[in-house]
Amino acid sequence: MAIAKQEGNFRTQEFILNMGPQHPSTHGVYRAILTLDGEYVVDLENVIGYLHRGIEKLAESRTYTQFIPYTDRMDYLAGMLNNWGYVMTVEKALGLEIPERAEYIRIIVGELQRIASHLVMVASMALDMNGYTAWMYAFYDREKILDLFEMICGSRLTTSFMRVGGVPNDIPEGFLPKLEEFLKEFPKRLDDFDNVITGNEIFIKRTKGIAPIDGETALDYGLTGPNLRASGVNFDLRKVRPYSIYDRFDFEVPVGTNGDNFDRYNMRMLEMRQSLRIIRQAVDNLPEGSIMAKVPKVLRIPAGETYGHIEGAKGILGFYLVSDGGTKPYRIHVHAPSFVNLGIYPYMAKGTMLQDAIASLASIDIVLGEVDR
Amino acid sequence: MFGEGLLKGLGVTIKHFFAPKITEQYPEVKPKLPPLVKSRFRLNREKCIACGICANACPNKVITVNSEKDENNKKRLTGYEMNLQYCLFCGLCVESCPTKAIEIDQDFELAAYTRENTKMDMYKEALTNPPGTAAKEDKGGKDA
Ligand code: SF4
Ligand code: SF4
Repeated sequence: MAIAKQEGNFRTQEFILNMGPQHPSTHGVYRAILTLDGEYVVDLENVIGYLHRGIEKLAESRTYTQFIPYTDRMDYLAGMLNNWGYVMTVEKALGLEIPERAEYIRIIVGELQRIASHLVMVASMALDMNGYTAWMYAFYDREKILDLFEMICGSRLTTSFMRVGGVPNDIPEGFLPKLEEFLKEFPKRLDDFDNVITGNEIFIKRTKGIAPIDGETALDYGLTGPNLRASGVNFDLRKVRPYSIYDRFDFEVPVGTNGDNFDRYNMRMLEMRQSLRIIRQAVDNLPEGSIMAKVPKVLRIPAGETYGHIEGAKGILGFYLVSDGGTKPYRIHVHAPSFVNLGIYPYMAKGTMLQDAIASLASIDIVLGEVDR
Repeated sequence: MFGEGLLKGLGVTIKHFFAPKITEQYPEVKPKLPPLVKSRFRLNREKCIACGICANACPNKVITVNSEKDENNKKRLTGYEMNLQYCLFCGLCVESCPTKAIEIDQDFELAAYTRENTKMDMYKEALTNPPGTAAKEDKGGKDA
Protein backbone atom coordinates (compact mmCIF):
# COMPACT_ATOMS: atom_id res chain seq x y z
CA MET A 1 0.00 0.00 0.00
CA ALA A 2 1.31 3.40 -0.89
CA ILE A 3 2.34 5.67 1.86
CA ALA A 4 0.27 8.78 1.53
CA LYS A 5 1.94 11.27 3.80
CA GLN A 6 4.86 11.37 6.10
CA GLU A 7 5.17 13.95 8.82
CA GLY A 8 7.72 13.64 11.55
CA ASN A 9 7.50 10.26 13.12
CA PHE A 10 3.93 9.70 12.12
CA ARG A 11 3.05 7.99 8.93
CA THR A 12 -0.39 7.88 7.39
CA GLN A 13 -1.46 5.20 5.04
CA GLU A 14 -4.22 4.83 2.57
CA PHE A 15 -6.58 2.11 3.50
CA ILE A 16 -9.35 0.15 1.88
CA LEU A 17 -12.87 0.29 3.23
CA ASN A 18 -15.73 -1.84 2.11
CA MET A 19 -19.03 -0.05 2.05
CA GLY A 20 -21.87 -2.46 1.64
CA PRO A 21 -23.20 -4.70 0.24
CA GLN A 22 -25.46 -4.53 3.28
CA HIS A 23 -25.35 -0.96 4.31
CA PRO A 24 -28.25 1.44 4.74
CA SER A 25 -26.51 4.21 2.80
CA THR A 26 -26.07 2.12 -0.30
CA HIS A 27 -29.78 2.21 -1.12
CA GLY A 28 -29.94 -1.49 -1.71
CA VAL A 29 -27.38 -4.20 -2.07
CA TYR A 30 -24.48 -2.38 -3.61
CA ARG A 31 -20.86 -2.43 -2.61
CA ALA A 32 -18.29 0.29 -2.96
CA ILE A 33 -14.62 -0.42 -2.40
CA LEU A 34 -13.23 2.82 -1.08
CA THR A 35 -9.62 3.77 -0.86
CA LEU A 36 -9.38 6.34 1.88
CA ASP A 37 -6.77 8.74 2.96
CA GLY A 38 -8.06 9.66 6.35
CA GLU A 39 -11.49 11.10 5.75
CA TYR A 40 -10.91 11.68 2.06
CA VAL A 41 -11.85 9.34 -0.72
CA VAL A 42 -8.91 8.64 -2.99
CA ASP A 43 -10.53 6.04 -5.14
CA LEU A 44 -13.80 4.25 -5.39
CA GLU A 45 -14.83 1.13 -7.20
CA ASN A 46 -18.40 0.12 -7.91
CA VAL A 47 -19.34 -3.49 -7.29
CA ILE A 48 -22.79 -4.41 -8.48
CA GLY A 49 -24.74 -7.52 -9.29
CA TYR A 50 -26.05 -8.55 -5.89
CA LEU A 51 -29.64 -8.05 -6.94
CA HIS A 52 -29.37 -9.63 -10.35
CA ARG A 53 -32.44 -11.69 -11.11
CA GLY A 54 -31.97 -12.09 -14.81
CA ILE A 55 -35.12 -10.22 -15.69
CA GLU A 56 -34.08 -9.75 -19.31
CA LYS A 57 -33.60 -13.49 -19.62
CA LEU A 58 -36.89 -14.22 -17.87
CA ALA A 59 -38.62 -12.14 -20.52
CA GLU A 60 -37.63 -14.64 -23.18
CA SER A 61 -39.80 -17.31 -21.62
CA ARG A 62 -42.78 -15.07 -20.94
CA THR A 63 -45.39 -13.77 -23.34
CA TYR A 64 -45.52 -10.05 -24.02
CA THR A 65 -48.32 -9.58 -21.51
CA GLN A 66 -46.76 -11.81 -18.90
CA PHE A 67 -43.63 -9.71 -18.81
CA ILE A 68 -45.49 -6.63 -17.56
CA PRO A 69 -45.39 -7.61 -13.85
CA TYR A 70 -41.63 -8.12 -14.08
CA THR A 71 -40.97 -4.61 -15.31
CA ASP A 72 -42.08 -3.02 -12.07
CA ARG A 73 -39.65 -5.18 -10.17
CA MET A 74 -36.75 -3.36 -11.76
CA ASP A 75 -37.13 0.16 -10.51
CA TYR A 76 -39.50 -0.73 -7.73
CA LEU A 77 -39.75 2.89 -6.69
CA ALA A 78 -41.29 3.81 -10.02
CA GLY A 79 -43.29 0.78 -11.07
CA MET A 80 -45.82 2.71 -13.10
CA LEU A 81 -43.18 4.33 -15.26
CA ASN A 82 -41.51 1.00 -15.94
CA ASN A 83 -44.83 -0.50 -16.97
CA TRP A 84 -45.43 2.45 -19.17
CA GLY A 85 -42.06 2.29 -20.92
CA TYR A 86 -42.51 -1.37 -21.66
CA VAL A 87 -46.10 -1.35 -22.89
CA MET A 88 -45.36 1.70 -24.98
CA THR A 89 -42.55 -0.16 -26.71
CA VAL A 90 -44.80 -3.12 -27.42
CA GLU A 91 -47.52 -0.79 -28.69
CA LYS A 92 -44.99 0.87 -30.92
CA ALA A 93 -43.96 -2.50 -32.33
CA LEU A 94 -47.59 -3.37 -32.98
CA GLY A 95 -48.48 0.06 -34.30
CA LEU A 96 -51.31 0.36 -31.79
CA GLU A 97 -53.27 3.52 -31.12
CA ILE A 98 -54.48 3.71 -27.58
CA PRO A 99 -57.63 5.49 -26.41
CA GLU A 100 -57.44 9.08 -25.20
CA ARG A 101 -58.73 8.32 -21.75
CA ALA A 102 -56.12 5.64 -21.24
CA GLU A 103 -53.40 8.12 -22.21
CA TYR A 104 -54.68 10.61 -19.67
CA ILE A 105 -54.86 8.00 -16.94
CA ARG A 106 -51.31 6.96 -17.78
CA ILE A 107 -50.15 10.54 -17.51
CA ILE A 108 -51.83 10.98 -14.14
CA VAL A 109 -50.41 7.82 -12.58
CA GLY A 110 -47.07 8.30 -14.32
CA GLU A 111 -46.57 11.77 -12.93
CA LEU A 112 -47.78 10.68 -9.50
CA GLN A 113 -45.16 7.97 -9.68
CA ARG A 114 -42.50 10.49 -10.62
CA ILE A 115 -43.40 12.50 -7.53
CA ALA A 116 -43.31 9.39 -5.38
CA SER A 117 -39.90 8.43 -6.71
CA HIS A 118 -38.50 11.92 -6.26
CA LEU A 119 -39.87 11.96 -2.72
CA VAL A 120 -37.82 8.89 -1.92
CA MET A 121 -34.77 10.58 -3.36
CA VAL A 122 -35.32 13.75 -1.35
CA ALA A 123 -36.04 11.73 1.77
CA SER A 124 -33.06 9.44 1.50
CA MET A 125 -30.70 12.23 0.62
CA ALA A 126 -31.79 14.09 3.74
CA LEU A 127 -31.46 10.90 5.75
CA ASP A 128 -27.96 10.24 4.47
CA MET A 129 -27.07 13.64 5.80
CA ASN A 130 -28.65 12.76 9.10
CA GLY A 131 -31.90 14.63 8.57
CA TYR A 132 -34.36 12.12 9.88
CA THR A 133 -37.30 14.51 10.04
CA ALA A 134 -37.40 15.11 6.31
CA TRP A 135 -37.36 11.39 5.68
CA MET A 136 -40.47 10.94 7.74
CA TYR A 137 -42.30 13.87 6.14
CA ALA A 138 -41.53 12.81 2.61
CA PHE A 139 -42.62 9.26 3.26
CA TYR A 140 -45.88 10.53 4.66
CA ASP A 141 -46.67 12.13 1.32
CA ARG A 142 -45.42 9.19 -0.66
CA GLU A 143 -47.83 7.11 1.37
CA LYS A 144 -50.66 9.28 0.09
CA ILE A 145 -49.63 8.52 -3.48
CA LEU A 146 -49.33 4.83 -2.75
CA ASP A 147 -52.83 4.93 -1.26
CA LEU A 148 -54.04 6.40 -4.53
CA PHE A 149 -52.29 3.63 -6.46
CA GLU A 150 -53.84 1.09 -4.19
CA MET A 151 -57.23 2.43 -5.18
CA ILE A 152 -56.66 2.46 -8.90
CA CYS A 153 -54.61 -0.69 -9.42
CA GLY A 154 -54.72 -2.67 -6.21
CA SER A 155 -51.00 -2.56 -5.48
CA ARG A 156 -48.73 -0.05 -3.92
CA LEU A 157 -45.26 -0.71 -5.26
CA THR A 158 -45.40 -3.43 -7.86
CA THR A 159 -48.27 -1.90 -9.72
CA SER A 160 -48.46 -3.97 -12.92
CA PHE A 161 -51.03 -1.42 -13.92
CA MET A 162 -50.66 -0.92 -17.62
CA ARG A 163 -51.59 -3.32 -20.37
CA VAL A 164 -50.67 -3.39 -24.01
CA GLY A 165 -53.42 -1.21 -25.50
CA GLY A 166 -54.42 0.78 -22.45
CA VAL A 167 -54.99 0.35 -18.76
CA PRO A 168 -56.88 -2.53 -17.09
CA ASN A 169 -59.01 -0.53 -14.66
CA ASP A 170 -60.84 2.69 -15.08
CA ILE A 171 -60.58 5.36 -12.41
CA PRO A 172 -62.54 4.01 -9.45
CA GLU A 173 -65.07 5.91 -7.46
CA GLY A 174 -63.48 8.11 -4.83
CA PHE A 175 -60.15 8.31 -6.62
CA LEU A 176 -60.54 11.77 -8.10
CA PRO A 177 -61.68 13.46 -4.86
CA LYS A 178 -58.70 11.93 -3.07
CA LEU A 179 -56.42 13.08 -5.86
CA GLU A 180 -57.88 16.59 -5.61
CA GLU A 181 -57.13 16.58 -1.93
CA PHE A 182 -53.57 15.52 -2.63
CA LEU A 183 -53.14 18.19 -5.28
CA LYS A 184 -54.35 20.77 -2.79
CA GLU A 185 -52.25 19.62 0.15
CA PHE A 186 -49.03 18.67 -1.54
CA PRO A 187 -47.79 22.14 -2.56
CA LYS A 188 -48.01 23.15 1.11
CA ARG A 189 -46.02 20.10 2.04
CA LEU A 190 -43.43 20.99 -0.56
CA ASP A 191 -43.10 24.37 1.10
CA ASP A 192 -42.54 22.54 4.36
CA PHE A 193 -39.76 20.51 2.74
CA ASP A 194 -38.23 23.69 1.45
CA ASN A 195 -38.21 25.05 4.98
CA VAL A 196 -36.89 21.87 6.54
CA ILE A 197 -34.29 20.89 3.94
CA THR A 198 -33.73 23.33 1.10
CA GLY A 199 -33.37 26.33 3.35
CA ASN A 200 -31.42 24.55 6.05
CA GLU A 201 -27.97 26.09 6.34
CA ILE A 202 -26.30 22.86 7.29
CA PHE A 203 -27.81 21.12 4.31
CA ILE A 204 -26.75 23.91 1.97
CA LYS A 205 -23.21 23.99 3.35
CA ARG A 206 -22.87 20.28 2.91
CA THR A 207 -24.27 20.06 -0.61
CA LYS A 208 -23.41 23.26 -2.49
CA GLY A 209 -20.28 22.86 -4.53
CA ILE A 210 -19.85 19.20 -3.59
CA ALA A 211 -19.18 16.76 -6.41
CA PRO A 212 -19.92 19.13 -9.28
CA ILE A 213 -20.38 17.66 -12.73
CA ASP A 214 -20.22 19.95 -15.72
CA GLY A 215 -22.52 19.44 -18.66
CA GLU A 216 -19.83 18.00 -20.89
CA THR A 217 -18.77 15.37 -18.39
CA ALA A 218 -22.37 14.50 -17.67
CA LEU A 219 -22.96 13.83 -21.35
CA ASP A 220 -19.72 11.86 -21.62
CA TYR A 221 -20.86 9.57 -18.84
CA GLY A 222 -24.27 9.23 -20.45
CA LEU A 223 -26.23 10.69 -17.58
CA THR A 224 -29.89 11.29 -18.23
CA GLY A 225 -32.86 12.64 -16.38
CA PRO A 226 -32.66 15.06 -13.46
CA ASN A 227 -28.95 14.28 -12.99
CA LEU A 228 -28.18 15.54 -16.48
CA ARG A 229 -30.44 18.55 -16.17
CA ALA A 230 -28.79 19.51 -12.89
CA SER A 231 -25.60 19.98 -14.90
CA GLY A 232 -27.29 22.54 -17.10
CA VAL A 233 -28.19 20.37 -20.08
CA ASN A 234 -31.81 20.92 -20.97
CA PHE A 235 -32.86 17.52 -22.16
CA ASP A 236 -36.18 16.03 -21.21
CA LEU A 237 -37.75 13.46 -23.48
CA ARG A 238 -41.19 14.75 -22.60
CA LYS A 239 -40.24 18.03 -24.29
CA VAL A 240 -37.65 17.04 -26.87
CA ARG A 241 -39.42 14.04 -28.28
CA PRO A 242 -42.89 14.09 -26.75
CA TYR A 243 -44.30 10.61 -26.42
CA SER A 244 -47.83 9.73 -25.39
CA ILE A 245 -49.66 13.07 -25.25
CA TYR A 246 -47.07 15.18 -23.46
CA ASP A 247 -47.12 17.74 -26.25
CA ARG A 248 -50.55 18.87 -25.02
CA PHE A 249 -49.35 19.85 -21.58
CA ASP A 250 -47.91 23.09 -20.42
CA PHE A 251 -44.96 22.56 -18.10
CA GLU A 252 -41.40 23.67 -17.66
CA VAL A 253 -38.24 21.68 -17.44
CA PRO A 254 -36.11 22.84 -14.51
CA VAL A 255 -32.43 23.11 -15.35
CA GLY A 256 -29.59 23.52 -12.88
CA THR A 257 -26.33 25.38 -13.23
CA ASN A 258 -23.55 23.83 -11.17
CA GLY A 259 -24.40 20.15 -11.28
CA ASP A 260 -23.49 19.78 -7.64
CA ASN A 261 -25.31 17.75 -5.04
CA PHE A 262 -27.56 20.65 -4.20
CA ASP A 263 -28.63 21.13 -7.79
CA ARG A 264 -29.39 17.48 -8.18
CA TYR A 265 -31.53 17.62 -5.08
CA ASN A 266 -33.19 20.82 -6.16
CA MET A 267 -34.05 19.41 -9.60
CA ARG A 268 -36.25 16.87 -7.89
CA MET A 269 -37.96 19.48 -5.76
CA LEU A 270 -38.70 21.65 -8.81
CA GLU A 271 -39.77 18.72 -10.94
CA MET A 272 -42.32 17.66 -8.37
CA ARG A 273 -44.05 21.01 -8.73
CA GLN A 274 -44.06 20.65 -12.51
CA SER A 275 -45.50 17.14 -12.22
CA LEU A 276 -48.28 18.60 -10.11
CA ARG A 277 -49.01 21.03 -12.91
CA ILE A 278 -49.21 18.22 -15.44
CA ILE A 279 -51.54 16.20 -13.23
CA ARG A 280 -53.74 19.25 -12.70
CA GLN A 281 -54.13 19.71 -16.46
CA ALA A 282 -54.68 16.02 -17.05
CA VAL A 283 -57.43 15.84 -14.44
CA ASP A 284 -59.12 18.93 -15.86
CA ASN A 285 -59.11 17.61 -19.41
CA LEU A 286 -59.83 13.98 -18.66
CA PRO A 287 -62.02 12.74 -21.52
CA GLU A 288 -64.68 10.04 -21.34
CA GLY A 289 -64.38 6.90 -23.39
CA SER A 290 -62.86 3.48 -23.40
CA ILE A 291 -59.65 2.60 -21.65
CA MET A 292 -58.52 -0.33 -23.77
CA ALA A 293 -57.82 -0.50 -27.48
CA LYS A 294 -58.88 -3.58 -29.38
CA VAL A 295 -56.00 -5.96 -28.86
CA PRO A 296 -55.88 -9.62 -29.86
CA LYS A 297 -55.80 -12.07 -26.95
CA VAL A 298 -52.54 -13.56 -28.10
CA LEU A 299 -49.98 -10.93 -29.01
CA ARG A 300 -47.66 -11.61 -31.90
CA ILE A 301 -45.16 -8.99 -32.87
CA PRO A 302 -43.86 -9.02 -36.43
CA ALA A 303 -40.22 -10.02 -36.63
CA GLY A 304 -37.91 -7.07 -36.17
CA GLU A 305 -36.50 -4.66 -33.65
CA THR A 306 -38.15 -1.86 -31.74
CA TYR A 307 -36.75 0.64 -29.33
CA GLY A 308 -39.02 2.71 -27.16
CA HIS A 309 -38.08 5.07 -24.41
CA ILE A 310 -39.70 7.36 -21.89
CA GLU A 311 -38.49 9.92 -19.42
CA GLY A 312 -38.43 7.81 -16.30
CA ALA A 313 -38.08 9.20 -12.81
CA LYS A 314 -34.32 8.60 -12.82
CA GLY A 315 -33.55 9.25 -16.44
CA ILE A 316 -34.26 7.83 -19.84
CA LEU A 317 -35.75 4.40 -19.54
CA GLY A 318 -35.51 2.48 -22.77
CA PHE A 319 -36.68 -0.94 -23.86
CA TYR A 320 -35.05 -2.63 -26.81
CA LEU A 321 -37.20 -5.42 -28.09
CA VAL A 322 -36.27 -8.01 -30.67
CA SER A 323 -39.02 -10.20 -31.97
CA ASP A 324 -38.82 -13.28 -34.16
CA GLY A 325 -42.51 -13.16 -34.93
CA GLY A 326 -43.53 -15.46 -32.10
CA THR A 327 -45.61 -14.87 -29.00
CA LYS A 328 -42.58 -14.35 -26.81
CA PRO A 329 -39.82 -11.79 -27.15
CA TYR A 330 -36.61 -13.08 -28.68
CA ARG A 331 -34.62 -10.65 -26.60
CA ILE A 332 -35.35 -7.68 -24.40
CA HIS A 333 -32.74 -5.27 -23.27
CA VAL A 334 -33.45 -2.50 -20.80
CA HIS A 335 -31.60 0.77 -20.86
CA ALA A 336 -31.74 1.34 -17.14
CA PRO A 337 -31.00 4.92 -16.10
CA SER A 338 -29.77 3.96 -12.62
CA PHE A 339 -27.16 1.65 -14.10
CA VAL A 340 -25.79 4.34 -16.36
CA ASN A 341 -25.95 7.01 -13.68
CA LEU A 342 -24.04 4.88 -11.21
CA GLY A 343 -21.09 4.90 -13.61
CA ILE A 344 -20.22 8.45 -12.72
CA TYR A 345 -20.14 7.83 -8.99
CA PRO A 346 -16.39 7.07 -8.71
CA TYR A 347 -15.71 10.32 -10.56
CA MET A 348 -17.94 12.21 -8.13
CA ALA A 349 -16.60 10.62 -5.00
CA LYS A 350 -12.89 11.16 -5.69
CA GLY A 351 -11.42 13.84 -3.51
CA THR A 352 -14.48 14.39 -1.35
CA MET A 353 -14.98 13.50 2.28
CA LEU A 354 -16.42 10.10 3.04
CA GLN A 355 -19.59 11.65 4.43
CA ASP A 356 -20.05 13.73 1.32
CA ALA A 357 -19.48 10.72 -0.88
CA ILE A 358 -22.47 9.11 0.80
CA ALA A 359 -24.53 12.18 0.01
CA SER A 360 -23.30 12.10 -3.58
CA LEU A 361 -24.53 8.55 -3.95
CA ALA A 362 -27.92 9.62 -2.68
CA SER A 363 -27.92 12.57 -5.04
CA ILE A 364 -27.71 10.46 -8.20
CA ASP A 365 -30.73 8.51 -6.97
CA ILE A 366 -30.01 4.94 -7.90
CA VAL A 367 -32.17 1.97 -7.20
CA LEU A 368 -30.34 -1.31 -7.19
CA GLY A 369 -33.24 -3.32 -8.51
CA GLU A 370 -32.76 -1.45 -11.73
CA VAL A 371 -28.97 -1.40 -11.72
CA ASP A 372 -28.73 -5.17 -11.49
CA ARG A 373 -32.07 -6.18 -12.99
CA MET B 1 -28.74 35.59 9.17
CA PHE B 2 -27.17 32.24 9.72
CA GLY B 3 -29.58 29.97 11.54
CA GLU B 4 -32.72 31.44 10.09
CA GLY B 5 -33.21 28.37 7.93
CA LEU B 6 -32.71 26.14 10.92
CA LEU B 7 -35.34 28.03 12.91
CA LYS B 8 -37.78 27.84 10.04
CA GLY B 9 -37.26 24.10 9.88
CA LEU B 10 -37.81 23.87 13.58
CA GLY B 11 -41.06 25.79 13.15
CA VAL B 12 -42.29 23.18 10.70
CA THR B 13 -41.33 20.42 13.08
CA ILE B 14 -43.24 22.05 15.92
CA LYS B 15 -46.27 22.49 13.69
CA HIS B 16 -46.19 18.79 12.88
CA PHE B 17 -45.69 17.87 16.49
CA PHE B 18 -49.12 19.25 17.31
CA ALA B 19 -50.82 17.91 14.20
CA PRO B 20 -53.13 14.91 14.65
CA LYS B 21 -51.37 11.54 14.84
CA ILE B 22 -51.53 9.45 11.72
CA THR B 23 -50.08 6.16 12.91
CA GLU B 24 -51.96 3.12 11.72
CA GLN B 25 -53.06 1.06 14.69
CA TYR B 26 -52.58 -2.10 12.75
CA PRO B 27 -53.16 -5.29 14.63
CA GLU B 28 -55.78 -3.59 16.81
CA VAL B 29 -57.56 -1.88 13.95
CA LYS B 30 -57.45 -3.65 10.63
CA PRO B 31 -57.37 -1.29 7.68
CA LYS B 32 -60.11 -1.65 5.16
CA LEU B 33 -58.36 -1.90 1.82
CA PRO B 34 -59.89 -0.60 -1.41
CA PRO B 35 -61.83 -3.18 -3.44
CA LEU B 36 -59.21 -3.50 -6.17
CA VAL B 37 -56.47 -4.66 -3.83
CA LYS B 38 -55.16 -8.09 -4.71
CA SER B 39 -54.21 -9.59 -1.41
CA ARG B 40 -55.34 -13.12 -2.10
CA PHE B 41 -57.66 -14.97 -4.38
CA ARG B 42 -60.86 -16.89 -3.94
CA LEU B 43 -62.39 -19.43 -6.23
CA ASN B 44 -66.02 -19.89 -7.03
CA ARG B 45 -66.39 -23.61 -7.61
CA GLU B 46 -69.74 -23.34 -9.36
CA LYS B 47 -68.50 -20.86 -11.92
CA CYS B 48 -65.17 -22.51 -12.73
CA ILE B 49 -65.24 -24.59 -15.88
CA ALA B 50 -61.73 -25.98 -15.40
CA CYS B 51 -60.52 -24.50 -18.67
CA GLY B 52 -57.07 -23.74 -17.33
CA ILE B 53 -56.83 -20.34 -19.00
CA CYS B 54 -55.84 -18.73 -15.72
CA ALA B 55 -52.99 -21.21 -15.29
CA ASN B 56 -51.75 -20.33 -18.78
CA ALA B 57 -52.04 -16.61 -18.23
CA CYS B 58 -49.95 -16.74 -15.10
CA PRO B 59 -46.37 -15.62 -15.66
CA ASN B 60 -44.96 -17.70 -12.86
CA LYS B 61 -46.84 -21.01 -13.01
CA VAL B 62 -48.55 -20.41 -9.71
CA ILE B 63 -51.81 -22.12 -10.56
CA THR B 64 -52.49 -25.82 -11.02
CA VAL B 65 -55.93 -26.78 -12.24
CA ASN B 66 -56.98 -30.43 -12.00
CA SER B 67 -60.01 -31.74 -13.76
CA GLU B 68 -61.64 -34.93 -14.93
CA LYS B 69 -64.08 -35.69 -17.70
CA ASP B 70 -67.53 -36.67 -16.49
CA GLU B 71 -70.02 -39.01 -18.26
CA ASN B 72 -71.11 -36.27 -20.72
CA ASN B 73 -67.48 -35.70 -21.61
CA LYS B 74 -67.60 -32.38 -19.84
CA LYS B 75 -64.68 -31.16 -17.79
CA ARG B 76 -65.25 -31.04 -14.09
CA LEU B 77 -62.99 -29.32 -11.59
CA THR B 78 -61.35 -31.66 -9.10
CA GLY B 79 -58.61 -29.51 -7.70
CA TYR B 80 -57.28 -25.99 -7.80
CA GLU B 81 -54.06 -25.07 -6.15
CA MET B 82 -52.16 -21.82 -5.94
CA ASN B 83 -48.57 -21.85 -4.89
CA LEU B 84 -48.63 -18.35 -3.51
CA GLN B 85 -44.92 -18.14 -2.75
CA TYR B 86 -44.34 -17.55 -6.46
CA CYS B 87 -47.29 -15.24 -6.99
CA LEU B 88 -46.57 -11.74 -8.26
CA PHE B 89 -50.08 -10.56 -7.39
CA CYS B 90 -50.38 -9.11 -10.84
CA GLY B 91 -54.00 -10.13 -11.35
CA LEU B 92 -53.50 -11.50 -14.86
CA CYS B 93 -55.25 -14.73 -13.83
CA VAL B 94 -58.33 -12.83 -12.67
CA GLU B 95 -58.40 -10.77 -15.84
CA SER B 96 -58.12 -13.79 -18.08
CA CYS B 97 -60.83 -15.96 -16.51
CA PRO B 98 -63.76 -16.17 -18.93
CA THR B 99 -66.36 -16.94 -16.24
CA LYS B 100 -65.01 -14.69 -13.49
CA ALA B 101 -64.63 -17.72 -11.28
CA ILE B 102 -61.49 -16.49 -9.62
CA GLU B 103 -61.79 -13.27 -7.68
CA ILE B 104 -59.55 -10.96 -5.74
CA ASP B 105 -59.94 -10.50 -2.05
CA GLN B 106 -58.55 -8.00 0.44
CA ASP B 107 -57.74 -10.37 3.26
CA PHE B 108 -54.04 -9.61 3.44
CA GLU B 109 -52.95 -11.67 6.43
CA LEU B 110 -51.22 -14.42 4.51
CA ALA B 111 -48.01 -14.80 6.46
CA ALA B 112 -46.97 -18.41 6.90
CA TYR B 113 -44.20 -20.06 8.87
CA THR B 114 -43.06 -22.48 6.21
CA ARG B 115 -42.91 -22.46 2.44
CA GLU B 116 -45.20 -25.47 2.40
CA ASN B 117 -47.89 -23.42 4.08
CA THR B 118 -47.93 -20.83 1.36
CA LYS B 119 -49.59 -23.34 -0.93
CA MET B 120 -53.28 -22.75 -1.05
CA ASP B 121 -55.78 -25.41 -1.84
CA MET B 122 -58.37 -23.14 -3.36
CA TYR B 123 -60.65 -26.05 -4.18
CA LYS B 124 -61.12 -26.88 -0.53
CA GLU B 125 -61.05 -23.24 0.51
CA ALA B 126 -63.92 -22.50 -1.80
CA LEU B 127 -66.21 -24.62 0.36
CA THR B 128 -65.49 -22.90 3.63
CA ASN B 129 -64.76 -19.45 2.27
CA PRO B 130 -66.52 -18.74 -1.01
CA PRO B 131 -65.78 -15.35 -2.57
CA GLY B 132 -67.33 -12.34 -0.97
CA THR B 133 -68.22 -13.89 2.37
CA ALA B 134 -66.71 -14.87 5.69
CA ALA B 135 -63.32 -13.24 6.13
CA LYS B 136 -64.65 -9.95 4.86
CA GLU B 137 -66.89 -9.41 7.84
CA ASP B 138 -64.27 -9.20 10.53
CA LYS B 139 -62.77 -6.15 8.88
CA GLY B 140 -63.64 -3.19 11.00
CA GLY B 141 -61.78 0.02 11.35
CA LYS B 142 -60.92 2.70 8.98
CA ASP B 143 -58.25 3.35 6.45
CA ALA B 144 -56.14 6.39 7.20
S1 SF4 C 1 -51.74 -12.89 -9.63
FE1 SF4 C 1 -50.35 -13.17 -11.36
S2 SF4 C 1 -48.69 -14.44 -10.55
FE2 SF4 C 1 -50.39 -14.60 -9.10
S3 SF4 C 1 -51.51 -16.40 -9.76
FE3 SF4 C 1 -52.47 -14.67 -10.78
S4 SF4 C 1 -51.45 -14.51 -12.75
FE4 SF4 C 1 -50.18 -15.82 -11.44
S1 SF4 D 1 -60.72 -20.08 -12.70
FE1 SF4 D 1 -61.53 -19.33 -14.65
S2 SF4 D 1 -59.81 -19.46 -16.06
FE2 SF4 D 1 -59.26 -20.69 -14.29
S3 SF4 D 1 -59.89 -22.76 -14.83
FE3 SF4 D 1 -61.61 -21.84 -13.72
S4 SF4 D 1 -62.89 -20.94 -15.31
FE4 SF4 D 1 -60.92 -21.37 -16.28
